[in-house]
Amino acid sequence: MSKDKEIKGYRQQPGKIPFAKPGSGGREPFSKLRDLEMIPKSEGGYRAQPKGKNRHDHLLTGSTIGRRTPLVDSNWKVTGQAKYGDDIRLPNELIGRILRSPHHYARIRSIDTSEAESIKGVLAVETGQKHTDLFGVLPVTKDEHAMAVDKVRHVGDLVACVAAENESVALEALRKIKVDYEVLNPIIDMKKSLKDVEEPIHNRGKYHIGRSNVQKRVFQEFGNFESVKNPYVSSKSKWKYAGVNHGFTEPHAVVADWEPSGRLTLYTPQQVPHYVHRSLADVLKIPMHQINVHRTFVGGGFGGKSDPFPHEMCAAILARKTGRPVRITFDRDEVFYTNRGRHPSHIEMNLHADKEGRICGIETDALIDGGGFASFGHVTTYYNGVLHTAPYEIGSFHYTGARVWTNKPASGAMRGHGAVNSRCAVELGIDDICEQLEVDPITFRLANLLPPHSSTITGFRITSIGMRDCLEKVREACDWEQKFRKLPFGHGIGIGCGFFISGSGLPIHWDPNKFPHATVHLKIDMDGGVTIHTGAADIGQGSDTVVAQSVSEVLGLPIEMIRVKSRDSDTSPVDLGSYSSRVTFMNANAAISAAIKIRDELIKATADICNVEEKSLVIGDRRIYQKKDPAVGVSYLEALHKAQEERGALISSGAYRTPPMGGVHKGAAAGLAPAYSFSAYAAEVKVDAETGITEVVKVWAAHDCGRALNPLSVEGQIIGSCHMGLGQVLTEEMRYTKKGNLLNPNLLEYKIPTIHEMPEVVPIIVESNDPEGPFGAKEAGEGPLLPILPAVCNAVYDAIGIRTNELPITPDKLYKLIEKKVRSLKLDSPLNLPNPKLNYSKLQNTLEDRADNHKVRDQDRKLDPKREPYYNGTIFGKVSTIPPEEQDERWTLSVTPSEEYLANPRLAGSAWKHVEVRHMKRGDET
Amino acid sequence: MKSPPFKLFQPTSIDEAIEISKKFVQEQEDFDWIAGGTDLLPNYKWHLNTKPNVISLASIEELHRLDSEHIGAMVRLHDLAKSEFAHPIIRKAASSIASVLIRQSGTVGGNIALDTRCFWFNQAEEWRRSIEWCHKCDCGTSADCRVIPNQNELCVATYQADLAPSLLVLNAKIHLCGPEGSRTLFLSEFFELDGIKRNVLKQGEIITHLTLDNDISSWSGDYQKLSLRKSWDFPEAGVAVAWRLSDESNNENFELRIATTALESVPRLHQKLTSDALKNNSTIDEIASKLKKDVKPVNNTTFPPNYRKKMVEVLCKKALGGLKGVL
Repeated sequence: MSKDKEIKGYRQQPGKIPFAKPGSGGREPFSKLRDLEMIPKSEGGYRAQPKGKNRHDHLLTGSTIGRRTPLVDSNWKVTGQAKYGDDIRLPNELIGRILRSPHHYARIRSIDTSEAESIKGVLAVETGQKHTDLFGVLPVTKDEHAMAVDKVRHVGDLVACVAAENESVALEALRKIKVDYEVLNPIIDMKKSLKDVEEPIHNRGKYHIGRSNVQKRVFQEFGNFESVKNPYVSSKSKWKYAGVNHGFTEPHAVVADWEPSGRLTLYTPQQVPHYVHRSLADVLKIPMHQINVHRTFVGGGFGGKSDPFPHEMCAAILARKTGRPVRITFDRDEVFYTNRGRHPSHIEMNLHADKEGRICGIETDALIDGGGFASFGHVTTYYNGVLHTAPYEIGSFHYTGARVWTNKPASGAMRGHGAVNSRCAVELGIDDICEQLEVDPITFRLANLLPPHSSTITGFRITSIGMRDCLEKVREACDWEQKFRKLPFGHGIGIGCGFFISGSGLPIHWDPNKFPHATVHLKIDMDGGVTIHTGAADIGQGSDTVVAQSVSEVLGLPIEMIRVKSRDSDTSPVDLGSYSSRVTFMNANAAISAAIKIRDELIKATADICNVEEKSLVIGDRRIYQKKDPAVGVSYLEALHKAQEERGALISSGAYRTPPMGGVHKGAAAGLAPAYSFSAYAAEVKVDAETGITEVVKVWAAHDCGRALNPLSVEGQIIGSCHMGLGQVLTEEMRYTKKGNLLNPNLLEYKIPTIHEMPEVVPIIVESNDPEGPFGAKEAGEGPLLPILPAVCNAVYDAIGIRTNELPITPDKLYKLIEKKVRSLKLDSPLNLPNPKLNYSKLQNTLEDRADNHKVRDQDRKLDPKREPYYNGTIFGKVSTIPPEEQDERWTLSVTPSEEYLANPRLAGSAWKHVEVRHMKRGDET
Repeated sequence: MKSPPFKLFQPTSIDEAIEISKKFVQEQEDFDWIAGGTDLLPNYKWHLNTKPNVISLASIEELHRLDSEHIGAMVRLHDLAKSEFAHPIIRKAASSIASVLIRQSGTVGGNIALDTRCFWFNQAEEWRRSIEWCHKCDCGTSADCRVIPNQNELCVATYQADLAPSLLVLNAKIHLCGPEGSRTLFLSEFFELDGIKRNVLKQGEIITHLTLDNDISSWSGDYQKLSLRKSWDFPEAGVAVAWRLSDESNNENFELRIATTALESVPRLHQKLTSDALKNNSTIDEIASKLKKDVKPVNNTTFPPNYRKKMVEVLCKKALGGLKGVL
């Protein structure tokens, strides 16, 4: 097809440059990229990694995927023009404030609001009495009210709310609300919540577990337990983890506006706008179509903004009553009362290994403190167990977990949801086992990894796995051989690994059945720019950028031609939200399938113009042309305008739903994901044995994200995760007094590491090319947090020979352990403590050989499309292609405890001593 | 979170400032002084002992003077830390205070007269209501002390400022000015053992400046502090030492001073301890161990008192490190 024919219809003087096409931007159509000099580069990720093929390979046009792309919303943020929750200022707004409980646990006898209502400038005072509908993020555990109906469950629980002309008046009104409480006996210690009490914190009716405060209990037994009965070496530890808060920069803020149309618009910095949408409909008793949830810019979420919140309900209630916009912005202490941070936990971790250096058993018992409400706790209870069944092949897995209510602010989901604490315990256990076996901990790990495309002991489907690459790259980068057990006293290095889900396989709300997890709409009009409508919540992690990149890549357009509209539920298709590291995997997959439809139309149009076969065409940078003869083709705009003939704007819709997978036992869906991320970190620390002060000097952080769609933001996530994890391991802690008062609900006393505590982090990106991920990508938002905790703890051991079992390792706690050891060894000074040493045993050679063999095995499995199944247990001599339960008679698979176990249960396991109300015999209920 | 409204006065001379304060004292009206405001304003936002009137010292030129022997009360901590005039111990202490931003605003006088701190006190209003208030800010309820209950006499809130011990070991004099005139005293006489009263300042009186002896350059020393993070945090323990060797071969004319902060309601110069130590020719370890026994922290800061006490020994050893071979 000649060029003359192509531009027919446009006036053109001979010899002149053709006129710009409509919508092309004239003669300077290229936007200029921004300067990226100041951003640290990854080391180690550039080396060629054998990837194998990916189903999206043919869609690559070289536009943006794999390039360091600044986030599409970054300019708003760095110039201070981004509108966060509190920046939404509507005309005629009122200020809402919330009255909170001063008691840990009390029954509300009465509330007198008359005096508050009579204050000039107060427009509405609302209490919980009229709004009794329950809501909660998980449909199975809805237990929250907009405001307390009968009982307050922790200091800071919502009692009433006020809308007034300004904050001073609102605060004055709060002081005038008279609440008559009957104070009840609070439960602060989570261990006490396991027992039956007079007045459990919640009443779940027939599903209540005895008369206890156990909210959720889990029992799981998988494997052959013969080898555990007489293991070669064991590591047993009892851990105590303090609760931590997300510490995001932006406190919660919400604006509710009941518009003249009679519809409600709720402006809120939310990770899960869709669940807020549902909850608002429940609480306000109006249909969902009457509500528009507008997600503002989110100043950090990390899981802390992934519940529908009572204050969001309050703002809507006040707006409905006053007919004016109501804005509620939290003080920092209110953020701590809302919490939803990581659960304070007691974890008992027993690891067993056999003579061959194989992990023959993991026995975990996790008691987690849920605070006053359920939140995500149902899932957290499972995650504390099931998320440490990989990346190692294990002989048996025994897990008992319980989440209990206490009269404290509710715990919930936080970056690395449920996996962080137990992972730390596992990785320290492995270090301890290696110490006993006298082998190198990296070699030990390399010799015990699951291969690609395998099945874990509980039936998770592992597809891509870059764990081996992570470990090897970190070992090389940090100069492990020269440092481990060889550094002088007080100076140490340690290793830790991580494993995390890349998108929860089961959506939280699975009604209506077979709904997709993510949906993306595209719209392109004659200007050529692509509008993406998606409900995925960009909380700073860069989900807008990822979806823009995916579309730009498939259509061969620069990212500047893509605009993402992801804020309003009115215009966005439903997306479940930014949790469980699901957005890149699911939303980008949905975006790709939507873009493929547009791509097909463009190719068809080009084929029509050029009169060639569709199959012969490819898309390049704003041009569609024949692959074998690139001169034959048209520009993107020409193809687009052709495709638009007779119909106008092109639109398309794409969706993603996880494939069927996993086992059928109770709880099989928990932890199930279409892909998993892996990571390995090494941390170098200096410990002052005289003061117990730990300083992290440098971190080498390798993370397998499948494929780095945007290496810049993957590295950002790795570095940010290190900072957050370092907080939990070194300084951060929600401190409660014995009576249950939270001592540090402010950012001066809640010790987030400052720039002085932040070590140099060397991010190493490992790309395992996931077969189902968008262009091969997996998550990079939560998994990178996991390994930093055990890496630092193991490094502390390497430095001074002391194993901690309590986080955070604040100097006072570490010093106590140092003193104890100094006393037991009868030394004069902590500086004389013995420095840990390592002399390899014979097993080291065996493990090295096994690791080498496995490396070949893994590579083969990865590249072989006709690979056979591989089940966990093969390393113990089972047939790799048959599920272990079908070949081992003594294989146990149980999700309820036996009588024998209940005779002598572990701590969290004792939750199973109670009988659920519905299973009680008549007469037992009282 | 909003501070209650207050009326701000901005005098431009000491006389004018004292004039204003005198009036308030006579009329028995409550007021506060404000210097850098880095401590007062956060406290106001938490509704901690707020007053209806606030007198700012920022516009009084004469309070800003800084040279080797004279440190004005309104000298910014940042300027002190960077000053060529200031003694190295003072520079070290000043540069360790809070963060750069706070040092840019916080002042010497404000740091010396810093309000005492306690985790039952430095909390938002709602929080304090949940513990039914405390002795230091009882909101008219005459609430008990939450750290050591049943002793409604004394407030045990901790004095957590960094500058005082360094100035104490350099034997600084403090100059005050108030409605009843000016007076000068040794800094060691300035503090009073009560978390509420804190110091000898009378109603309407301000710190104008500190002076140091003209021979302080012959003193060497060190300041060591304990805090969880290297920025922002208030000290959990602080030890300043200063010594002078007139003749290095001879211990006879050896002088030594040790002061501590962040351990009690006042910073303290440990005079008896040092004089005993010199008399008995104690070693560094012995002095450090005695110092540990000489301080009595209570449980109201980040670290437990037991740990802070033990760390005083370590800090003292580190601070006296320059005397290895002498003691």
